Amino acid sequence: MVFSAFTLAQNKKDSLEFKVTAGLNIGGLSPIPLPDNIREIKSYDPGFNPSVGVEVLYRFRNKWKVGISPRVEYKGMKVKDRVMYFHTLIQMGDGAEMASFEGDFSGINYTESKNLYLGVPVFVEFTPGEKWHYRLGGYFAFLLDSRFKGTVSDGYIRNGGSLGEKVEVNSASFDFSDKVRKSDYGIYAGISRDVSERFSVDLSLQWGLRSAFPSSFSGISFPMYNIYAQIGTGYRF
Amino acid sequence: MFFMVSCIGEEPLNPEADVEEFVIDPQLLTSKTIIDQANRKILIYIKPEAYQNGISPTLKLSKGATSSPASRTLIKFDQPVFYTISSESGGNQKKYEIEVVEIGTWTFNFETWTANSTSGYEFPLDNNIQIWSSGNPGVALSGVPAQADAYPTRSTNSGFNGTKAAQLTTLPGNFLSEFLGIKIFPGSFFLGDFNSSQALANPLAATEFGQPYFDMPDKFTGYYTYTPGATFQDQAGNPVAGQKDRFSLYAVMFNGPDRLNGSNINSSDKIIARAELPNDVPANTEFKRFEVPFTYIPGRTPGNNVMVAIVASSSYQGDTYRGAIGSRLVVDSLRIIAK
Repeated sequence: MVFSAFTLAQNKKDSLEFKVTAGLNIGGLSPIPLPDNIREIKSYDPGFNPSVGVEVLYRFRNKWKVGISPRVEYKGMKVKDRVMYFHTLIQMGDGAEMASFEGDFSGINYTESKNLYLGVPVFVEFTPGEKWHYRLGGYFAFLLDSRFKGTVSDGYIRNGGSLGEKVEVNSASFDFSDKVRKSDYGIYAGISRDVSERFSVDLSLQWGLRSAFPSSFSGISFPMYNIYAQIGTGYRF
Repeated sequence: MFFMVSCIGEEPLNPEADVEEFVIDPQLLTSKTIIDQANRKILIYIKPEAYQNGISPTLKLSKGATSSPASRTLIKFDQPVFYTISSESGGNQKKYEIEVVEIGTWTFNFETWTANSTSGYEFPLDNNIQIWSSGNPGVALSGVPAQADAYPTRSTNSGFNGTKAAQLTTLPGNFLSEFLGIKIFPGSFFLGDFNSSQALANPLAATEFGQPYFDMPDKFTGYYTYTPGATFQDQAGNPVAGQKDRFSLYAVMFNGPDRLNGSNINSSDKIIARAELPNDVPANTEFKRFEVPFTYIPGRTPGNNVMVAIVASSSYQGDTYRGAIGSRLVVDSLRIIAK
Protein backbone atom coordinates (compact mmCIF):
# COMPACT_ATOMS: atom_id res chain seq x y z
CA MET A 1 0.00 0.00 0.00
CA VAL A 2 2.72 2.41 0.97
CA PHE A 3 4.67 1.38 -2.02
CA SER A 4 1.84 1.88 -4.47
CA ALA A 5 1.01 5.30 -3.02
CA PHE A 6 4.61 6.25 -3.54
CA THR A 7 4.59 5.17 -7.18
CA LEU A 8 1.35 7.06 -7.79
CA ALA A 9 2.90 10.24 -6.42
CA GLN A 10 5.94 9.58 -8.51
CA ASN A 11 3.74 9.17 -11.59
CA LYS A 12 1.80 12.33 -10.79
CA LYS A 13 5.00 14.31 -10.53
CA ASP A 14 6.26 12.90 -13.80
CA SER A 15 3.07 13.66 -15.62
CA LEU A 16 3.19 17.42 -14.84
CA GLU A 17 5.64 19.63 -16.65
CA PHE A 18 6.46 23.31 -16.08
CA LYS A 19 8.21 25.51 -18.58
CA VAL A 20 9.08 29.11 -19.17
CA THR A 21 8.87 30.24 -22.77
CA ALA A 22 10.17 33.13 -24.82
CA GLY A 23 9.69 33.86 -28.48
CA LEU A 24 9.20 36.31 -31.30
CA ASN A 25 5.95 36.83 -33.19
CA ILE A 26 6.06 37.41 -36.92
CA GLY A 27 2.91 38.02 -38.88
CA GLY A 28 0.26 40.56 -39.55
CA LEU A 29 -3.14 41.94 -38.90
CA SER A 30 -4.71 41.19 -42.24
CA PRO A 31 -7.94 40.64 -44.10
CA ILE A 32 -8.40 37.04 -45.30
CA PRO A 33 -8.35 36.74 -48.23
CA LEU A 34 -6.80 40.00 -49.37
CA PRO A 35 -9.59 42.05 -50.98
CA ASP A 36 -9.16 43.29 -54.54
CA ASN A 37 -8.92 46.80 -53.11
CA ILE A 38 -5.37 46.03 -51.98
CA ARG A 39 -3.35 46.20 -55.16
CA GLU A 40 0.22 45.89 -54.01
CA ILE A 41 2.18 45.36 -50.80
CA LYS A 42 5.01 47.85 -51.14
CA SER A 43 6.80 47.03 -47.93
CA TYR A 44 6.36 44.87 -44.88
CA ASP A 45 8.28 44.97 -41.63
CA PRO A 46 7.42 42.41 -38.95
CA GLY A 47 8.91 44.62 -36.25
CA PHE A 48 10.10 43.34 -32.87
CA ASN A 49 7.27 41.49 -31.14
CA PRO A 50 8.52 39.51 -28.15
CA SER A 51 6.47 37.00 -26.21
CA VAL A 52 7.23 35.64 -22.72
CA GLY A 53 5.19 33.19 -20.72
CA VAL A 54 4.90 30.00 -18.79
CA GLU A 55 3.57 26.63 -19.79
CA VAL A 56 2.01 23.80 -17.84
CA LEU A 57 1.58 20.37 -19.43
CA TYR A 58 -0.19 17.38 -18.00
CA ARG A 59 0.28 13.90 -19.39
CA PHE A 60 -3.03 12.12 -19.33
CA ARG A 61 -2.01 9.13 -21.46
CA ASN A 62 1.12 7.73 -22.88
CA LYS A 63 2.22 10.13 -25.69
CA TRP A 64 -0.65 12.59 -24.98
CA LYS A 65 -0.65 15.73 -22.90
CA VAL A 66 -2.87 18.73 -22.41
CA GLY A 67 -1.31 22.11 -21.90
CA ILE A 68 -1.93 25.76 -21.23
CA SER A 69 0.57 28.42 -22.16
CA PRO A 70 -0.29 31.87 -20.79
CA ARG A 71 1.99 34.59 -22.12
CA VAL A 72 2.30 38.31 -22.52
CA GLU A 73 3.06 39.11 -26.12
CA TYR A 74 3.13 41.75 -28.75
CA LYS A 75 1.52 41.25 -32.13
CA GLY A 76 2.45 43.91 -34.61
CA MET A 77 3.64 44.87 -38.06
CA LYS A 78 4.37 47.80 -40.30
CA VAL A 79 2.97 47.58 -43.78
CA LYS A 80 2.79 49.92 -46.74
CA ASP A 81 0.37 49.05 -49.47
CA ARG A 82 -1.34 50.56 -52.47
CA VAL A 83 -5.12 50.48 -52.32
CA MET A 84 -7.90 51.32 -54.78
CA TYR A 85 -11.46 52.38 -53.90
CA PHE A 86 -10.90 51.56 -50.24
CA HIS A 87 -14.12 52.42 -48.43
CA THR A 88 -13.90 54.18 -45.11
CA LEU A 89 -16.31 55.88 -42.73
CA ILE A 90 -14.80 57.90 -39.92
CA GLN A 91 -16.96 59.19 -37.10
CA MET A 92 -15.83 61.43 -34.31
CA GLY A 93 -17.77 62.95 -31.44
CA ASP A 94 -21.33 62.31 -30.29
CA GLY A 95 -24.77 63.75 -30.77
CA ALA A 96 -24.96 67.24 -32.19
CA GLU A 97 -21.16 67.44 -32.20
CA MET A 98 -20.76 64.34 -34.28
CA ALA A 99 -18.75 64.66 -37.45
CA SER A 100 -18.46 61.89 -39.95
CA PHE A 101 -16.69 61.42 -43.21
CA GLU A 102 -17.35 58.61 -45.60
CA GLY A 103 -15.46 58.01 -48.79
CA ASP A 104 -13.39 55.80 -51.06
CA PHE A 105 -9.62 56.21 -50.93
CA SER A 106 -7.18 55.29 -53.68
CA GLY A 107 -3.49 55.71 -52.99
CA ILE A 108 -0.82 54.66 -50.53
CA ASN A 109 -1.69 53.38 -47.09
CA TYR A 110 0.85 52.95 -44.33
CA THR A 111 -0.24 51.14 -41.20
CA GLU A 112 1.63 50.48 -38.00
CA SER A 113 0.01 48.13 -35.57
CA LYS A 114 1.41 46.92 -32.28
CA ASN A 115 -0.98 45.35 -29.81
CA LEU A 116 -0.04 43.89 -26.44
CA TYR A 117 -2.06 40.83 -25.47
CA LEU A 118 -2.32 38.45 -22.58
CA GLY A 119 -2.65 35.31 -24.69
CA VAL A 120 -3.75 31.93 -23.38
CA PRO A 121 -3.37 28.99 -25.76
CA VAL A 122 -4.83 25.68 -24.56
CA PHE A 123 -3.93 22.60 -26.53
CA VAL A 124 -3.43 18.86 -26.79
CA GLU A 125 0.13 17.71 -27.42
CA PHE A 126 1.05 14.46 -29.13
CA THR A 127 4.54 12.98 -28.79
CA PRO A 128 4.89 10.04 -31.18
CA GLY A 129 8.57 9.38 -30.40
CA GLU A 130 11.18 10.94 -28.18
CA LYS A 131 11.92 14.50 -29.23
CA TRP A 132 9.18 15.85 -31.48
CA HIS A 133 5.93 17.19 -30.08
CA TYR A 134 2.88 18.27 -32.08
CA ARG A 135 0.22 20.58 -30.67
CA LEU A 136 -3.22 21.65 -31.69
CA GLY A 137 -5.72 23.79 -29.84
CA GLY A 138 -7.13 27.25 -29.53
CA TYR A 139 -6.29 30.52 -27.87
CA PHE A 140 -7.97 33.37 -26.13
CA ALA A 141 -6.28 36.72 -25.86
CA PHE A 142 -7.04 39.84 -23.89
CA LEU A 143 -5.85 43.21 -25.11
CA LEU A 144 -3.59 45.04 -22.66
CA ASP A 145 -2.47 47.88 -24.89
CA SER A 146 -3.12 48.84 -28.50
CA ARG A 147 -1.70 50.82 -31.34
CA PHE A 148 -3.18 50.96 -34.81
CA LYS A 149 -2.34 54.06 -36.73
CA GLY A 150 -0.83 55.29 -39.93
CA THR A 151 -1.18 57.57 -42.90
CA VAL A 152 -2.86 57.73 -46.26
CA SER A 153 -0.96 59.61 -48.92
CA ASP A 154 -0.28 60.19 -52.62
CA GLY A 155 -3.81 59.59 -53.71
CA TYR A 156 -7.34 60.84 -53.51
CA ILE A 157 -10.52 60.22 -51.63
CA ARG A 158 -13.99 60.42 -53.09
CA ASN A 159 -16.50 62.13 -50.86
CA GLY A 160 -19.28 59.72 -49.94
CA GLY A 161 -18.22 56.92 -52.26
CA SER A 162 -17.08 56.16 -55.76
CA LEU A 163 -19.38 58.76 -57.36
CA GLY A 164 -18.44 61.59 -55.04
CA GLU A 165 -16.10 64.41 -55.94
CA LYS A 166 -12.41 63.61 -55.96
CA VAL A 167 -10.32 65.23 -53.24
CA GLU A 168 -6.58 64.92 -53.54
CA VAL A 169 -4.74 63.70 -50.45
CA ASN A 170 -1.05 64.50 -50.02
CA SER A 171 -0.88 62.98 -46.58
CA ALA A 172 -3.36 62.49 -43.79
CA SER A 173 -2.98 60.46 -40.63
CA PHE A 174 -5.37 58.13 -38.89
CA ASP A 175 -5.37 56.54 -35.47
CA PHE A 176 -7.79 53.73 -34.72
CA SER A 177 -5.90 52.51 -31.63
CA ASP A 178 -8.88 52.87 -29.31
CA LYS A 179 -11.11 50.92 -31.69
CA VAL A 180 -9.19 47.64 -31.42
CA ARG A 181 -11.28 44.89 -29.80
CA LYS A 182 -10.45 43.99 -26.22
CA SER A 183 -10.34 40.27 -26.89
CA ASP A 184 -9.38 37.85 -29.59
CA TYR A 185 -9.59 34.10 -30.11
CA GLY A 186 -8.45 31.65 -32.73
CA ILE A 187 -6.66 28.46 -33.62
CA TYR A 188 -3.34 27.50 -32.09
CA ALA A 189 -0.99 24.90 -33.61
CA GLY A 190 2.64 24.15 -33.05
CA ILE A 191 5.63 21.85 -33.31
CA SER A 192 8.41 21.65 -30.77
CA ARG A 193 11.60 19.70 -30.56
CA ASP A 194 13.66 18.93 -27.48
CA VAL A 195 17.23 19.99 -28.08
CA SER A 196 18.54 19.01 -24.67
CA GLU A 197 17.10 17.60 -21.50
CA ARG A 198 15.67 20.96 -20.50
CA PHE A 199 15.55 23.09 -23.66
CA SER A 200 13.16 22.92 -26.56
CA VAL A 201 12.67 25.01 -29.69
CA ASP A 202 9.15 25.79 -30.76
CA LEU A 203 7.39 26.93 -33.87
CA SER A 204 3.74 27.81 -33.49
CA LEU A 205 0.95 29.60 -35.29
CA GLN A 206 -1.92 31.64 -33.88
CA TRP A 207 -4.63 32.20 -36.45
CA GLY A 208 -7.22 34.68 -35.26
CA LEU A 209 -10.87 33.99 -36.01
CA ARG A 210 -12.27 37.22 -34.64
CA SER A 211 -11.89 40.51 -36.46
CA ALA A 212 -9.63 42.88 -34.57
CA PHE A 213 -12.25 45.61 -35.01
CA PRO A 214 -15.90 45.35 -34.01
CA SER A 215 -18.46 45.24 -36.82
CA SER A 216 -19.74 48.66 -35.67
CA PHE A 217 -16.41 50.15 -36.72
CA SER A 218 -16.41 51.19 -40.35
CA GLY A 219 -13.04 52.88 -40.77
CA ILE A 220 -11.89 49.75 -42.54
CA SER A 221 -14.46 48.08 -44.71
CA PHE A 222 -13.33 44.47 -44.23
CA PRO A 223 -12.55 42.30 -41.17
CA MET A 224 -8.89 42.07 -40.11
CA TYR A 225 -7.46 39.05 -38.36
CA ASN A 226 -4.38 38.52 -36.19
CA ILE A 227 -2.26 35.92 -37.93
CA TYR A 228 1.08 35.32 -36.27
CA ALA A 229 3.76 32.66 -36.26
CA GLN A 230 6.05 32.39 -33.29
CA ILE A 231 9.61 31.12 -33.12
CA GLY A 232 10.53 30.44 -29.55
CA THR A 233 12.26 28.40 -26.96
CA GLY A 234 11.16 26.71 -23.76
CA TYR A 235 13.02 25.78 -20.60
CA ARG A 236 11.64 22.91 -18.57
CA PHE A 237 12.04 22.76 -14.79
CA MET B 1 1.80 37.65 -44.91
CA PHE B 2 4.12 36.59 -47.68
CA PHE B 3 1.98 33.82 -49.03
CA MET B 4 -0.94 36.23 -49.15
CA VAL B 5 0.93 38.65 -51.37
CA SER B 6 0.68 36.14 -54.16
CA CYS B 7 -3.08 36.11 -53.73
CA ILE B 8 -3.60 39.64 -55.08
CA GLY B 9 -6.32 39.22 -57.66
CA GLU B 10 -7.49 41.10 -60.68
CA GLU B 11 -7.82 44.84 -60.39
CA PRO B 12 -11.44 45.72 -59.68
CA LEU B 13 -13.37 47.36 -62.53
CA ASN B 14 -13.38 51.11 -62.16
CA PRO B 15 -16.52 52.28 -60.31
CA GLU B 16 -15.81 55.96 -61.06
CA ALA B 17 -17.82 58.01 -63.54
CA ASP B 18 -16.29 61.46 -63.79
CA VAL B 19 -16.17 63.92 -66.62
CA GLU B 20 -12.52 64.84 -66.12
CA GLU B 21 -12.26 67.23 -69.04
CA PHE B 22 -14.83 68.91 -71.24
CA VAL B 23 -12.97 70.36 -74.20
CA ILE B 24 -14.62 72.90 -76.48
CA ASP B 25 -13.02 74.48 -79.54
CA PRO B 26 -11.13 77.43 -77.98
CA GLN B 27 -12.39 79.71 -80.78
CA LEU B 28 -15.89 79.36 -79.40
CA LEU B 29 -15.00 80.14 -75.81
CA THR B 30 -15.16 83.37 -73.86
CA SER B 31 -13.68 81.86 -70.72
CA LYS B 32 -12.46 78.63 -69.21
CA THR B 33 -14.90 75.79 -68.58
CA ILE B 34 -15.57 74.86 -64.96
CA ILE B 35 -16.45 71.32 -63.97
CA ASP B 36 -18.16 71.52 -60.60
CA GLN B 37 -17.72 67.93 -59.46
CA ALA B 38 -19.48 68.41 -56.11
CA ASN B 39 -22.65 69.70 -57.76
CA ARG B 40 -22.26 67.72 -61.02
CA LYS B 41 -22.43 70.76 -63.24
CA ILE B 42 -20.34 71.79 -66.19
CA LEU B 43 -20.30 75.55 -66.54
CA ILE B 44 -19.35 76.73 -70.01
CA TYR B 45 -18.63 80.20 -71.34
CA ILE B 46 -19.29 80.41 -75.08
CA LYS B 47 -19.77 83.03 -77.76
CA PRO B 48 -23.32 83.84 -78.96
CA GLU B 49 -22.87 82.04 -82.30
CA ALA B 50 -21.76 78.88 -80.49
CA TYR B 51 -24.86 79.14 -78.34
CA GLN B 52 -26.95 79.42 -81.55
CA ASN B 53 -25.31 76.61 -83.49
CA GLY B 54 -24.42 74.22 -80.71
CA ILE B 55 -21.03 72.75 -79.84
CA SER B 56 -19.32 69.35 -80.17
CA PRO B 57 -17.29 68.94 -76.99
CA THR B 58 -14.64 66.27 -76.52
CA LEU B 59 -14.94 64.48 -73.19
CA LYS B 60 -12.28 62.85 -71.13
CA LEU B 61 -13.86 60.40 -68.70
CA SER B 62 -12.78 58.16 -65.84
CA LYS B 63 -10.92 55.09 -67.13
CA GLY B 64 -13.31 52.73 -68.86
CA ALA B 65 -16.38 54.95 -68.46
CA THR B 66 -18.79 55.78 -71.29
CA SER B 67 -20.97 58.82 -71.87
CA SER B 68 -24.34 59.55 -73.35
CA PRO B 69 -24.34 61.56 -75.53
CA ALA B 70 -20.95 60.40 -76.70
CA SER B 71 -17.86 62.57 -76.94
CA ARG B 72 -17.84 64.85 -80.01
CA THR B 73 -21.61 64.65 -80.46
CA LEU B 74 -23.19 67.95 -81.47
CA ILE B 75 -25.25 69.33 -78.61
CA LYS B 76 -27.74 72.18 -78.93
CA PHE B 77 -29.02 74.49 -76.26
CA ASP B 78 -32.70 74.70 -77.22
CA GLN B 79 -33.38 72.46 -74.21
CA PRO B 80 -31.46 71.50 -71.05
CA VAL B 81 -28.39 69.39 -71.80
CA PHE B 82 -27.35 66.48 -69.62
CA TYR B 83 -24.52 63.99 -69.93
CA THR B 84 -24.93 60.60 -68.28
CA ILE B 85 -21.67 58.83 -67.49
CA SER B 86 -21.64 55.07 -66.83
CA SER B 87 -18.69 53.57 -65.00
CA GLU B 88 -16.56 50.70 -66.29
CA SER B 89 -17.90 48.59 -63.42
CA GLY B 90 -21.37 49.07 -64.87
CA GLY B 91 -23.29 49.78 -61.69
CA ASN B 92 -22.52 53.45 -61.30
CA GLN B 93 -24.03 56.35 -63.20
CA LYS B 94 -23.51 60.04 -62.78
CA LYS B 95 -25.47 62.79 -64.48
CA TYR B 96 -23.94 66.16 -65.25
CA GLU B 97 -25.89 69.20 -66.33
CA ILE B 98 -24.39 71.62 -68.82
CA GLU B 99 -24.97 75.26 -67.97
CA VAL B 100 -24.13 78.13 -70.27
CA VAL B 101 -22.91 80.99 -68.15
CA GLU B 102 -23.98 84.46 -69.11
CA ILE B 103 -23.49 87.17 -66.57
CA GLY B 104 -25.75 89.99 -67.58
CA THR B 105 -25.85 93.10 -65.49
CA TRP B 106 -23.28 92.37 -62.75
CA THR B 107 -25.90 93.23 -60.17
CA PHE B 108 -26.27 90.47 -57.62
CA ASN B 109 -29.28 90.48 -55.29
CA PHE B 110 -29.03 86.88 -54.01
CA GLU B 111 -32.77 86.27 -54.11
CA THR B 112 -32.64 82.68 -55.44
CA TRP B 113 -30.81 79.94 -53.56
CA THR B 114 -30.49 76.22 -53.97
CA ALA B 115 -28.82 73.49 -51.92
CA ASN B 116 -26.31 70.78 -52.68
CA SER B 117 -28.35 67.59 -52.80
CA THR B 118 -26.13 65.44 -50.58
CA SER B 119 -24.27 67.86 -48.30
CA GLY B 120 -27.04 70.40 -47.79
CA TYR B 121 -25.07 73.64 -48.15
CA GLU B 122 -26.66 76.53 -50.00
CA PHE B 123 -25.48 78.64 -52.87
CA PRO B 124 -27.21 81.40 -54.83
CA LEU B 125 -28.27 81.17 -58.45
CA ASP B 126 -27.97 84.03 -60.89
CA ASN B 127 -30.31 83.59 -63.87
CA ASN B 128 -30.52 79.97 -62.73
CA ILE B 129 -26.76 79.49 -63.01
CA GLN B 130 -24.27 79.00 -60.22
CA ILE B 131 -21.64 81.70 -60.54
CA TRP B 132 -21.05 82.28 -56.81
CA SER B 133 -19.33 79.78 -54.60
CA SER B 134 -17.99 79.55 -51.07
CA GLY B 135 -15.82 77.45 -48.78
CA ASN B 136 -18.88 75.33 -47.97
CA PRO B 137 -17.92 72.39 -50.22
CA GLY B 138 -14.68 72.17 -48.21
CA VAL B 139 -16.52 72.31 -44.90
CA ALA B 140 -18.76 69.51 -46.20
CA LEU B 141 -15.73 67.24 -46.28
CA SER B 142 -15.40 67.48 -42.51
CA GLY B 143 -18.77 65.82 -42.16
CA VAL B 144 -20.94 68.54 -40.65
CA PRO B 145 -24.70 67.78 -40.61
CA ALA B 146 -26.32 68.05 -44.05
CA GLN B 147 -28.29 71.22 -43.33
CA ALA B 148 -27.81 74.81 -44.45
CA ASP B 149 -27.21 76.26 -40.99
CA ALA B 150 -24.34 73.87 -40.30
CA TYR B 151 -22.34 75.80 -42.91
CA PRO B 152 -20.68 79.20 -42.59
CA THR B 153 -22.19 80.62 -45.79
CA ARG B 154 -25.94 80.53 -46.40
CA SER B 155 -28.96 82.63 -47.26
CA THR B 156 -30.72 84.88 -44.79
CA ASN B 157 -34.18 86.40 -45.01
CA SER B 158 -33.05 89.55 -43.28
CA GLY B 159 -31.32 91.09 -46.24
CA PHE B 160 -31.46 94.66 -47.48
CA ASN B 161 -35.09 95.83 -47.84
CA GLY B 162 -36.28 92.59 -46.21
CA THR B 163 -35.31 90.38 -49.12
CA LYS B 164 -32.78 87.55 -49.17
CA ALA B 165 -29.07 88.11 -48.82
CA ALA B 166 -25.85 86.13 -48.33
CA GLN B 167 -24.83 85.59 -44.73
CA LEU B 168 -21.28 84.61 -43.77
CA THR B 169 -20.62 83.46 -40.21
CA THR B 170 -17.37 82.24 -38.72
CA LEU B 171 -18.22 78.89 -37.13
CA PRO B 172 -16.27 76.64 -34.77
CA GLY B 173 -14.54 73.66 -36.38
CA ASN B 174 -15.54 70.12 -35.51
CA PHE B 175 -13.71 66.97 -34.44
CA LEU B 176 -12.63 66.05 -37.91
CA SER B 177 -11.46 69.51 -38.91
CA GLU B 178 -9.53 69.90 -35.68
CA PHE B 179 -7.85 66.65 -36.53
CA LEU B 180 -6.51 68.51 -39.58
CA GLY B 181 -5.61 71.53 -37.45
CA ILE B 182 -8.62 73.63 -38.51
CA LYS B 183 -10.22 75.25 -35.46
CA ILE B 184 -12.63 77.61 -37.22
CA PHE B 185 -14.67 77.62 -40.41
CA PRO B 186 -14.59 81.24 -41.61
CA GLY B 187 -17.47 82.27 -43.84
CA SER B 188 -16.35 82.94 -47.39
CA PHE B 189 -18.26 83.89 -50.49
CA PHE B 190 -16.96 84.69 -53.92
CA LEU B 191 -17.59 84.91 -57.64
CA GLY B 192 -15.99 81.77 -59.00
CA ASP B 193 -15.92 78.10 -58.19
CA PHE B 194 -14.66 75.70 -55.55
CA ASN B 195 -12.23 73.10 -56.84
CA SER B 196 -12.87 70.19 -54.50
CA SER B 197 -9.82 68.25 -55.64
CA GLN B 198 -7.57 70.76 -53.83
CA ALA B 199 -9.72 71.08 -50.70
CA LEU B 200 -7.43 69.06 -48.46
CA ALA B 201 -4.09 69.19 -50.19
CA ASN B 202 -4.07 72.94 -50.82
CA PRO B 203 -7.23 74.61 -49.47
CA LEU B 204 -6.25 78.11 -50.58
CA ALA B 205 -5.96 76.94 -54.18
CA ALA B 206 -9.42 75.34 -53.98
CA THR B 207 -11.17 78.72 -53.97
CA GLU B 208 -10.96 79.81 -57.62
CA PHE B 209 -11.95 83.41 -58.12
CA GLY B 210 -13.33 85.34 -61.06
CA GLN B 211 -15.82 85.46 -63.90
CA PRO B 212 -15.20 86.93 -67.35
CA TYR B 213 -15.81 90.66 -67.62
CA PHE B 214 -16.08 92.54 -70.89
CA ASP B 215 -15.80 96.19 -69.78
CA MET B 216 -13.58 98.33 -67.62
CA PRO B 217 -14.89 98.28 -64.04
CA ASP B 218 -15.27 101.61 -62.34
CA LYS B 219 -16.94 101.04 -58.97
CA PHE B 220 -17.85 98.27 -56.59
CA THR B 221 -21.05 99.01 -54.67
CA GLY B 222 -23.43 97.22 -52.32
CA TYR B 223 -24.84 96.89 -48.83
CA TYR B 224 -23.49 95.08 -45.81
CA THR B 225 -23.76 94.57 -42.07
CA TYR B 226 -20.97 93.29 -39.86
CA THR B 227 -20.73 92.14 -36.26
CA PRO B 228 -17.39 90.74 -35.11
CA GLY B 229 -17.40 87.71 -32.80
CA ALA B 230 -16.42 88.07 -29.16
CA THR B 231 -13.00 86.44 -28.99
CA PHE B 232 -10.39 86.51 -31.70
CA GLN B 233 -8.40 83.30 -31.79
CA ASP B 234 -5.20 82.25 -33.50
CA GLN B 235 -4.67 79.21 -35.68
CA ALA B 236 -4.11 77.01 -32.62
CA GLY B 237 -7.41 78.15 -31.14
CA ASN B 238 -5.87 80.33 -28.41
CA PRO B 239 -7.51 83.71 -27.70
CA VAL B 240 -5.52 86.74 -28.87
CA ALA B 241 -5.92 89.56 -26.37
CA GLY B 242 -6.70 92.95 -27.83
CA GLN B 243 -7.35 91.78 -31.38
CA LYS B 244 -10.75 92.28 -32.93
CA ASP B 245 -12.04 90.43 -35.94
CA ARG B 246 -12.77 92.29 -39.19
CA PHE B 247 -14.45 91.35 -42.41
CA SER B 248 -12.96 91.49 -45.85
CA LEU B 249 -14.88 92.53 -48.94
CA TYR B 250 -13.20 93.44 -52.20
CA ALA B 251 -13.34 93.17 -55.96
CA VAL B 252 -10.35 92.41 -58.17
CA MET B 253 -9.94 92.85 -61.90
CA PHE B 254 -7.25 90.66 -63.44
CA ASN B 255 -6.03 89.09 -66.64
CA GLY B 256 -7.43 85.58 -67.25
CA PRO B 257 -8.24 83.14 -68.58
CA ASP B 258 -6.81 81.30 -65.55
CA ARG B 259 -8.62 82.16 -62.36
CA LEU B 260 -6.76 83.48 -59.38
CA ASN B 261 -7.18 81.65 -56.08
CA GLY B 262 -6.75 82.15 -52.35
CA SER B 263 -3.00 81.87 -52.59
CA ASN B 264 -2.45 84.66 -55.13
CA ILE B 265 -5.52 86.92 -55.14
CA ASN B 266 -3.58 89.60 -53.28
CA SER B 267 -0.20 89.15 -54.88
CA SER B 268 -0.54 88.09 -58.51
CA ASP B 269 0.98 90.34 -61.15
CA LYS B 270 -2.07 89.61 -63.30
CA ILE B 271 -4.07 91.97 -61.10
CA ILE B 272 -5.01 95.15 -62.95
CA ALA B 273 -7.22 96.94 -60.46
CA ARG B 274 -8.70 96.49 -57.00
CA ALA B 275 -11.62 97.94 -55.06
CA GLU B 276 -11.50 97.12 -51.36
CA LEU B 277 -13.74 98.24 -48.53
CA PRO B 278 -12.04 99.70 -45.48
CA ASN B 279 -12.63 97.16 -42.71
CA ASP B 280 -11.32 99.04 -39.69
CA VAL B 281 -14.82 100.28 -38.93
CA PRO B 282 -17.25 99.97 -36.02
CA ALA B 283 -19.75 97.11 -35.99
CA ASN B 284 -22.96 97.91 -37.83
CA THR B 285 -26.14 95.91 -37.50
CA GLU B 286 -28.10 98.13 -39.94
CA PHE B 287 -27.37 97.81 -43.65
CA LYS B 288 -24.78 100.27 -44.75
CA ARG B 289 -24.24 101.23 -48.36
CA PHE B 290 -20.73 101.27 -49.76
CA GLU B 291 -19.22 102.52 -52.99
CA VAL B 292 -15.56 101.88 -53.67
CA PRO B 293 -13.74 102.92 -56.85
CA PHE B 294 -11.39 100.51 -58.58
CA THR B 295 -7.80 101.59 -58.16
CA TYR B 296 -5.84 100.74 -61.28
CA ILE B 297 -2.26 99.62 -60.75
CA PRO B 298 0.05 101.67 -62.97
CA GLY B 299 1.75 99.71 -65.72
CA ARG B 300 -0.74 96.82 -65.81
CA THR B 301 -2.71 96.48 -69.05
CA PRO B 302 -5.85 94.47 -69.61
CA GLY B 303 -5.54 91.62 -72.14
CA ASN B 304 -8.19 89.66 -74.01
CA ASN B 305 -9.49 87.63 -71.08
CA VAL B 306 -10.26 90.08 -68.34
CA MET B 307 -11.95 88.69 -65.25
CA VAL B 308 -13.44 90.22 -62.16
CA ALA B 309 -13.79 88.54 -58.81
CA ILE B 310 -15.75 89.64 -55.78
CA VAL B 311 -14.49 88.08 -52.57
CA ALA B 312 -16.01 88.31 -49.10
CA SER B 313 -15.11 86.78 -45.76
CA SER B 314 -16.51 87.06 -42.25
CA SER B 315 -12.96 86.88 -40.84
CA TYR B 316 -10.30 88.87 -42.65
CA GLN B 317 -7.56 86.44 -41.63
CA GLY B 318 -9.77 83.44 -42.23
CA ASP B 319 -7.46 82.17 -44.95
CA THR B 320 -5.03 81.28 -42.14
CA TYR B 321 -7.87 80.07 -39.87
CA ARG B 322 -7.58 83.06 -37.56
CA GLY B 323 -10.75 84.87 -36.52
CA ALA B 324 -13.56 85.09 -33.97
CA ILE B 325 -16.31 82.51 -33.77
CA GLY B 326 -19.60 84.27 -34.40
CA SER B 327 -18.28 87.03 -36.67
CA ARG B 328 -21.10 87.70 -39.09
CA LEU B 329 -21.07 89.51 -42.42
CA VAL B 330 -24.21 89.94 -44.51
CA VAL B 331 -23.85 91.22 -48.07
CA ASP B 332 -26.59 92.21 -50.49
CA SER B 333 -27.10 94.00 -53.81
CA LEU B 334 -23.47 93.76 -54.84
CA ARG B 335 -22.70 95.53 -58.10
CA ILE B 336 -19.81 96.12 -60.41
CA ILE B 337 -20.38 99.33 -62.36
CA ALA B 338 -18.48 99.77 -65.61
CA LYS B 339 -16.84 102.97 -66.75
